[in-house]
Amino acid sequence: MKPINKIVIILLLGAAIAGCKKSFLDRPSTSQISSNNFYQAPGDLRLATANLYGGAPWWQFQQPWLLLGDGLPGTAFYTYYGDLMQLYTRTITGQNTIVSSGWTGLYNVIAQCNMVINAINQQASPSIPAIKKNQAIAEARFIRAVAYYHLAVYWGAVPIIEDNTKLVNDPLLYRNTISDVYKFLANDLTYAAQNLPATDQPGRVTTWSAQGLLGKVYLTMSGLGKNGTRDQALLDSAKKYAGNVCKNSGLELFHSYYDLFKTQNNDNPESLFALQWAPGVGYGFGNVLPTYYSPSSTINAQKSGGWQPLQPTWDLYQMYSDKDTVRRKASIMLTGDHYSELDAADGGYTATGISMKKHIVGNEKDNNSPTMTMWSSPEHFAMLRLADIYLVYAEAILGNNASTADGDALLYFNKVRTRAGVDPVTILDFDTILKERRVELAFEGQYWIDLVRLSYYQPAKAVGILNSQARYTFTYDPVSHVAKQDTTAAVPTLPATISSFTLPIPAAEVTADPKLAQPPVPYYK
Amino acid sequence: MLFITAMLMALSGYAQTHRVTGTIISAEDSKPIPGVSIKVKGAKTGMVSAIDGTYSIMAAPNDVLIFSFISYATQQINIGKNTSIDVKLTQSISNLNEVVVTGYAKTKRKDVTGSISSIKGDDLRQTQPTTFDQALQGKVAGVVVQQISGQPGGGVSIQIRGISSITGSNSPLYVIDGIIIPPVGDPGNGGNPLNAINPADVESIDVLKDASATAIYGSQATNGVIVITTKRGKAGAPTVSYDFYAGDQEIPKKLPTMNLQQYATFMDARAVVWGFGARPEFANPQYLGKGTNWQNELFRRAPMNNHTITVSGGDDKTQYLLAGSYFDQQGIALGSDFKRYSVRLNLDNRTTKWLKVGTSLQLAHIDQNQNTSADGIISSALSLTPDVPVRNPDGSWGGVTTTDGWVPGIVNPVAIAQLSTNVATRNQVFGNAYAEIQFTRDLSLRTEVSGNFDFGTADNFTPSYTFGKVVNGVNSGSSNSSQSIYTVLRNFFTYNHDFGKLKFNALAGHEAQSNRYENVGAGRTNFPSNNVQAISAGDPTSATNSGSYGLGSSSESYFGRINLSWNDKYLITGNIRDDGSSNFPTNNRWSTTYSGAFAWKINNEAFLKNVKSINEMKLRVGYGLTNNQNIPGNTYVTQLTTEANGLSGIAQFQSNLPNPKVTWEKTNYYDAGLDGTFFNGRLSFSLDVYDRETKALLLAEPLPMYSGSSTGYSPGSMGAPYANVGSMRNTGFDLQINSTNINSKNFTWKSGFTISRNVNKVLSLGNGGSDASLTQKSYANNEIVEKTMVGQPIGEFYGYVFDGLFAKPQDFQTHALPVDQSGKPYPISAAGGGIWYGDRMFKDLNGDGIIDSRDQTFLGSPIPKFQYGISNSFFYKNFDLNIFFSGDYGNKIFNQMAIGQTNPTNSTAYFSSTLGYARLGLVNPSGSASDVNNVYVINPNTTIVGLRNDATNDNTRSSNIYIQDGSFLKCKNITLGYRLPENILSKIYLHSIRVYATVTNVFTITKYVGMDPEIGSWNPLQAGWDAGYYPQPRVYTIGAVITFNK
Repeated sequence: MKPINKIVIILLLGAAIAGCKKSFLDRPSTSQISSNNFYQAPGDLRLATANLYGGAPWWQFQQPWLLLGDGLPGTAFYTYYGDLMQLYTRTITGQNTIVSSGWTGLYNVIAQCNMVINAINQQASPSIPAIKKNQAIAEARFIRAVAYYHLAVYWGAVPIIEDNTKLVNDPLLYRNTISDVYKFLANDLTYAAQNLPATDQPGRVTTWSAQGLLGKVYLTMSGLGKNGTRDQALLDSAKKYAGNVCKNSGLELFHSYYDLFKTQNNDNPESLFALQWAPGVGYGFGNVLPTYYSPSSTINAQKSGGWQPLQPTWDLYQMYSDKDTVRRKASIMLTGDHYSELDAADGGYTATGISMKKHIVGNEKDNNSPTMTMWSSPEHFAMLRLADIYLVYAEAILGNNASTADGDALLYFNKVRTRAGVDPVTILDFDTILKERRVELAFEGQYWIDLVRLSYYQPAKAVGILNSQARYTFTYDPVSHVAKQDTTAAVPTLPATISSFTLPIPAAEVTADPKLAQPPVPYYK
Repeated sequence: MLFITAMLMALSGYAQTHRVTGTIISAEDSKPIPGVSIKVKGAKTGMVSAIDGTYSIMAAPNDVLIFSFISYATQQINIGKNTSIDVKLTQSISNLNEVVVTGYAKTKRKDVTGSISSIKGDDLRQTQPTTFDQALQGKVAGVVVQQISGQPGGGVSIQIRGISSITGSNSPLYVIDGIIIPPVGDPGNGGNPLNAINPADVESIDVLKDASATAIYGSQATNGVIVITTKRGKAGAPTVSYDFYAGDQEIPKKLPTMNLQQYATFMDARAVVWGFGARPEFANPQYLGKGTNWQNELFRRAPMNNHTITVSGGDDKTQYLLAGSYFDQQGIALGSDFKRYSVRLNLDNRTTKWLKVGTSLQLAHIDQNQNTSADGIISSALSLTPDVPVRNPDGSWGGVTTTDGWVPGIVNPVAIAQLSTNVATRNQVFGNAYAEIQFTRDLSLRTEVSGNFDFGTADNFTPSYTFGKVVNGVNSGSSNSSQSIYTVLRNFFTYNHDFGKLKFNALAGHEAQSNRYENVGAGRTNFPSNNVQAISAGDPTSATNSGSYGLGSSSESYFGRINLSWNDKYLITGNIRDDGSSNFPTNNRWSTTYSGAFAWKINNEAFLKNVKSINEMKLRVGYGLTNNQNIPGNTYVTQLTTEANGLSGIAQFQSNLPNPKVTWEKTNYYDAGLDGTFFNGRLSFSLDVYDRETKALLLAEPLPMYSGSSTGYSPGSMGAPYANVGSMRNTGFDLQINSTNINSKNFTWKSGFTISRNVNKVLSLGNGGSDASLTQKSYANNEIVEKTMVGQPIGEFYGYVFDGLFAKPQDFQTHALPVDQSGKPYPISAAGGGIWYGDRMFKDLNGDGIIDSRDQTFLGSPIPKFQYGISNSFFYKNFDLNIFFSGDYGNKIFNQMAIGQTNPTNSTAYFSSTLGYARLGLVNPSGSASDVNNVYVINPNTTIVGLRNDATNDNTRSSNIYIQDGSFLKCKNITLGYRLPENILSKIYLHSIRVYATVTNVFTITKYVGMDPEIGSWNPLQAGWDAGYYPQPRVYTIGAVITFNK
């Protein structure tokens, strides 16, 4: 081999080594964007916040939303589902999967919100106008407040997390006091109310969503730590924000209670915050309520599911007056009820038993949604709607009075009733409002929240309501139109106490973080 | 001076010489050995034995003849008056001249400074492994091999000297003919990348254990390196060999489950207690048959067979080896098959005096039927009750028909195994091409380009079906196709120089590695028929697709090594390697690995030189700092995944919790070893003690659920952050002993023994102080059953301590009760929501009078105290017999299946032991059944709870009932072989024929009640979790190896 050849080889080799440029070790993912380079234009902010409205972040909480909200207060049950029966019979163990899925789901939402808020603050391009950034942050803070609100209602004192990345180095937290949790989420809502626009694309939250929820939160806080009566200043705040939504938002109730829950009317103006479920997505991403809780697979997407049909109790049924048929039929199926819009191609569905109707929306053809599957119902169910705020407003006006005939209170309360086709009332007291809320918002995860709100300042009354419930099954004769409470013994249920209003933190979570078993600490020092 | 002395010696010898003749044969097979070197001790020249093993040499009576041949123990024989000396050479077990791969180079075993174990291909093939990695078990001390799944082609987990990393991959680096196989996270479900290698092609495997041996491979090698060398052609006449075997596999053990009569009796008893749920068809259990035994339906005797033809040969310029192979294995469970077609071509060519080129190439095609794992067929079969028929009388598939809402509909596993499609195919090309340039006698340059090209498809189809009340109304199908390309470019210089007493060897090079991948998938539903499964036949409006492509991780490295040897007594090795990895943020990207080792060949010292019984005595000490980069790319930033969204069509989901501070994991590794060989190789041992301390542990950190992140499957949770969390230490020893116990004319007995012990201890978990722990929940009870804490070994089991059942009134006084959410004990009551007879008692460990999460404790470790392998080989004339055992001692197993299947309130199938449920009796038969003083448990020693339909006591909470002794001794393999005699073979123009019969997984001695105590896991936090594994089959094999030449 000639020396010159050797030199050539060495030079080639040198070139090969030098050829590994510095960028050789930069391997950004081409399938996924990273937050470092994502937030370049206002449209990117919209894609990031859209994620917070449904899909994976909310997936684990959707079932607990319904099962905790309506299973705990004796609205619905399904005997063969042990974890649900634990809620219903007040024998909840730390292994309850609904409880742990609810806990995980809400913190999943909070994590996604925190990440979006911090990324916009730290990484968004300076070229994006501040108003757009603030609006996106306000959306995230609104949704974060929704999650913290549910945590506070169900578990009381919980850890407050604003920056999840801090947990990487400091993962074990104490719980924060319940009053600080409410203060934290009220701050989020105040920010949201100030920075959200008055109108936006349907489905997105507006300042009215934030003010409405803020009113409801102040109403809840007004009783916290009180004995018998509520804090008047907080009641006034509740009245102010809820009233503002009632009077100044320009929003009206949707004309038909029955049609309100059809997917064709997703995101109608009454909807202040609804989860934006997409059809065609797989397990872990979509709305699964019909698949689990429908009474029959024949009225579901691709004729599937119907595994755990939710049964309304006699206690709930008794709340419906004779005239209250629209809300009854939209919420509960009675034996013989005909639903022409469910499985319409086969002539509709006639109920063969008693079950929940709300969230049962039919199959892919009924919804004109060809990609709807058992894992993806297209229903955008509302977690906050205008009718709720109307009733909150009435309750805030009632305040600590035994009853009220205030014009505003009656006006908005009766708007809810007349829309449902029932007679208006002329005087309001607490029980009337509570009952109205239960009927109007049945199977929307609200009644437990209402009872917890009451338990803050009138524990004995709240416990009494639970203990006097008629938690029976019932039958309905489609010929004689007579409903009858079943005579078989009710499912044995432990007597309620004030501690029944606080869910246990999942056992696995306490094992992972023993500090959760310690007394809560203040968040605001 | 030397010259004169030699002359004198030669002259003096010459005077009395006579001719000595004889035949040299192999002790193993009594066949003549040609080419053995025969020398008179002290003389300069010698003879070589002829093709028939004969020799002839002139020597004097007081001379000593030295017989030596590569891979045989050298013998020295005093001549005396003998004129005929027949010699039997013994193949050396620990042959000191054997060549060991040390990373980018080869060294003779006697000059190795690090801790390296080697195994020959022939030893590997004794167990008839489907993939070669399965065969390492028990053969190499310090290497723990555990089968993750007995599924054909399924993976194994291999750990070398314990767990150093919690990232999930403690897998060593595999280097096959210089081609690096990137580690995979979970090789359990048929995705084993090593299953494309035909074990018949393997020449040898070298396991590099300590840092001084692995450091040259840098950061990828922190868990050790397994170097596989495939066979290559040798100069000489062509050889053709045909290797064939056929086997029959069966399940070694079935779990005892209730038959129909037992089940009906049990259900009747339960319905009485529950007050509902009586089944009219169970009214008279004695008239029922045995019902369906679902394990009998699922498991089958399954054949496997293998054919390999190898042609090799060459001349002094070019050597070649071409091998083709076909392997077909059906699984013992329905719906699992594995087929492999492979071709290997290894070529070496000395092109010019200064240039050598060559290649190692492998093509493989694999077809795998993965229905068993894809459809959860084993767990369905174990969950189905005996009243469900496989087929109904009308021929349709059976299913759960009871309308009782609490009885879950379970898919008929026999039907689904036949109806659905889950087929994976892989086409793999991997190989390398090299050129070696010899600049001078001392200096050479080797350039290698190697690559691993993997192309795979996965076709799945779920049919529409009706199995009783389980209905799938709409069928669906998907097709996926993926490719991954992994390439390495490597250049290195080697310099060797002999300075007399000082021998010097150096290596320096550069390496760049890069990954690319691409995949697309498509899915549709609503196919017109279950028989038309092509994607295009599905409903077009239901079409979905997915895909991604891009650059995987890359790394770039500079490395160097120096070896010094002084007077063949003192050896020094130094390694250094600088690695850059794309897995870390820019400021943490580069990291240096280094190591040093010293070895002292004591046998070459004057004071041992004349001790003939000692052939080798070598002391080795080494230290190294190695680094680990084994995490996915881009975890230091938040990654956004596009998801469908009801608001805006798509949205960006934040899919991981980032850690911008993530950096390299570092391991300080100390090793000391002693190697000895005695009595001409009849006894040898190798002992190593080590201490590895890993700092800045890289970990997908399992945070509490409130972090919004999860290490496991949790919809909507972000991927857990990769963090440097804490430190961990592994100390231990491994010992390997080989001996030839008997070595007579017709009979030889050899033994091999390996034992290793590794002690794992978590030294710190940086985050959260001493409270921090890593926990894992079981799906079976939604409770934590594993907790890793400072001061404890990784992956320890955690839970409550079972203390009998509430059986007599006093038990309610002596034992604490669990509490409700307000901290108040639950009432003692037979009604719902109370604690009652037949519930489990747990120890109140903290003595606070209640049972709550603070009463949990550590329940044992899944890490064995010792692991061992014992092999014995016997050779009698043309027969050979090999028996191999391996075992674990002192570990625990989490019997996850027992949670559901020994729980009488469950509504799936039961183990027979559930019949021993707590039976309640009344002291006064006419008294109250709800009076605490009138009730007792008739069989108080049972562990199975009563039939009451109430979960208040949370009887299935994680407790030591489910944590069971996992020690075992398994007879892995017995092989009996016979070599046909030469005189027969020569008549039919064959070189050799060996026929053999083998049984693998012959029997297991264990106390563990599950199917198989040998449970592998790729996740150290879930080690020893038995979740109804695909068991390893017992295999009966017969085979033959036939060699032709000329």
